Amino acid sequence: MMLRQLTRRTILGAASLFALVPTLAFAAPSSDEAKAFVGRFGSRLVTVLNSNVPLAKKRDALLPLLRENVDVQGIGRYCLGRYWRVATPEQQKLYLELFQDVLLNAVTARMGEYQNISFRLVESVPSPAGQKVTLQISRPHQPDVLMTAVIDGEPPKVVDLYGEGASMRMTQRSDYTTYLTRHGGQVQTLINALKHQLGRD
Amino acid sequence: MACTGSTTQHHRGRFPALFTLIGCLTLLSLGGCGSLHSKPPTDPDDLADYKAVNDPYEPFNRKMFNLNMWVYHKALRPIGRFWKNNIPQPIRTSVATLNETWREPAVFFSDVGAGRPRRAGDAFMRFLLNMTTAGFYDVAQYLGYKQHETDPGMVLALWGVKSGPYIFLPGFGPSSFRDAAGYAISQGLTPINYVPSGYALISFNWGYNILGTFNSFADSTDQLDQLEHQSLDPYAFMRSAWQQQRQSQIDALKADHRATTPDWY
Repeated sequence: MMLRQLTRRTILGAASLFALVPTLAFAAPSSDEAKAFVGRFGSRLVTVLNSNVPLAKKRDALLPLLRENVDVQGIGRYCLGRYWRVATPEQQKLYLELFQDVLLNAVTARMGEYQNISFRLVESVPSPAGQKVTLQISRPHQPDVLMTAVIDGEPPKVVDLYGEGASMRMTQRSDYTTYLTRHGGQVQTLINALKHQLGRD
Repeated sequence: MACTGSTTQHHRGRFPALFTLIGCLTLLSLGGCGSLHSKPPTDPDDLADYKAVNDPYEPFNRKMFNLNMWVYHKALRPIGRFWKNNIPQPIRTSVATLNETWREPAVFFSDVGAGRPRRAGDAFMRFLLNMTTAGFYDVAQYLGYKQHETDPGMVLALWGVKSGPYIFLPGFGPSSFRDAAGYAISQGLTPINYVPSGYALISFNWGYNILGTFNSFADSTDQLDQLEHQSLDPYAFMRSAWQQQRQSQIDALKADHRATTPDWY
């Protein structure tokens, strides 16, 4: 009887532990952690955007910030969808390098719209993809903009952005996968198109 | 990056767009439209993508999208940029407010249809207060009645009507069968469309429609430029962004259970 109870306890304990392991390993940040992270990252980003230095220097300052705080690899991989599996390791590496530059270009292209800005944290709510932290961005003589950053991982990083209800990575994924479907499903075709987009062909 | 282009139901030309809409929907519904309809792919992964995007009329929609972008580059973009760069911001804001104010009755009836009395009350008050300035100034926002959007398409979604396939129509933008029907209903709920005959009122109606269309269009030129510059397949990018945004508007309406009485009561 004792043995049976012990066995049952052991089994239940082990099962609970196993259930906990993935939670610990991939713990999503708490609401406060996510807000603190967005506050720190946002402040550094705003300092760069509001600084009176040439655009090229701002771009140089942005790159390490993005690498440190945005899960570029994870987003890039997500955007390739099912085609990630068929890409060769070399193609995956090259694609991710290009994707990082595409992302950086997308941010720098809109820098002009975001000068003398300030932001405040509105709310943080949990979601299956991570903590969704909403920011209100104020710009002089322009209407305020609401943006939601999805924060996940350890250390926490931005894994997605929402503007006007649309997920950036999901929209980009739709763009890339539709392009690939219409161009024979060859990842190299997408890589060539990204090179062309970046003016490197 | 999450650019949405022309996204909401109301930011469009009025009657010309309505005629285009009716014509295209009739065309689509006639005999399956052969080459305008794409067949479901046999590959399981492709089939999953096909179902997810809900765009069986993609060949037709892409033709319409290309036509739209051709007109955009040849005529609409230069006019839109001219409008944006030369008309002072206060005037553009007033034109936008005028359009919003005259649309409030449609918003009010949509809120009633959605069973959201607080939202309906806000829309009603916005119409009353802003009409004291003939609709040119948004005085209601300073009294706590912030602008919100509800349209019949969202109400139909709330009632459980399926969206139907995605459609893209020139001059009308991204939509679905349900939202196109909603757009037609919202035109019926907009009082400016019932102005009696008379030179001044007809002139005002035309001015309102044309100015409103240009104003909202001029505001979206930056988004359209960005869309073309940053996406490999602008059509797919816009489709995905629009579908997500539309769903998020519907979700927000579903989740809006604010108390009926205002905070000060």
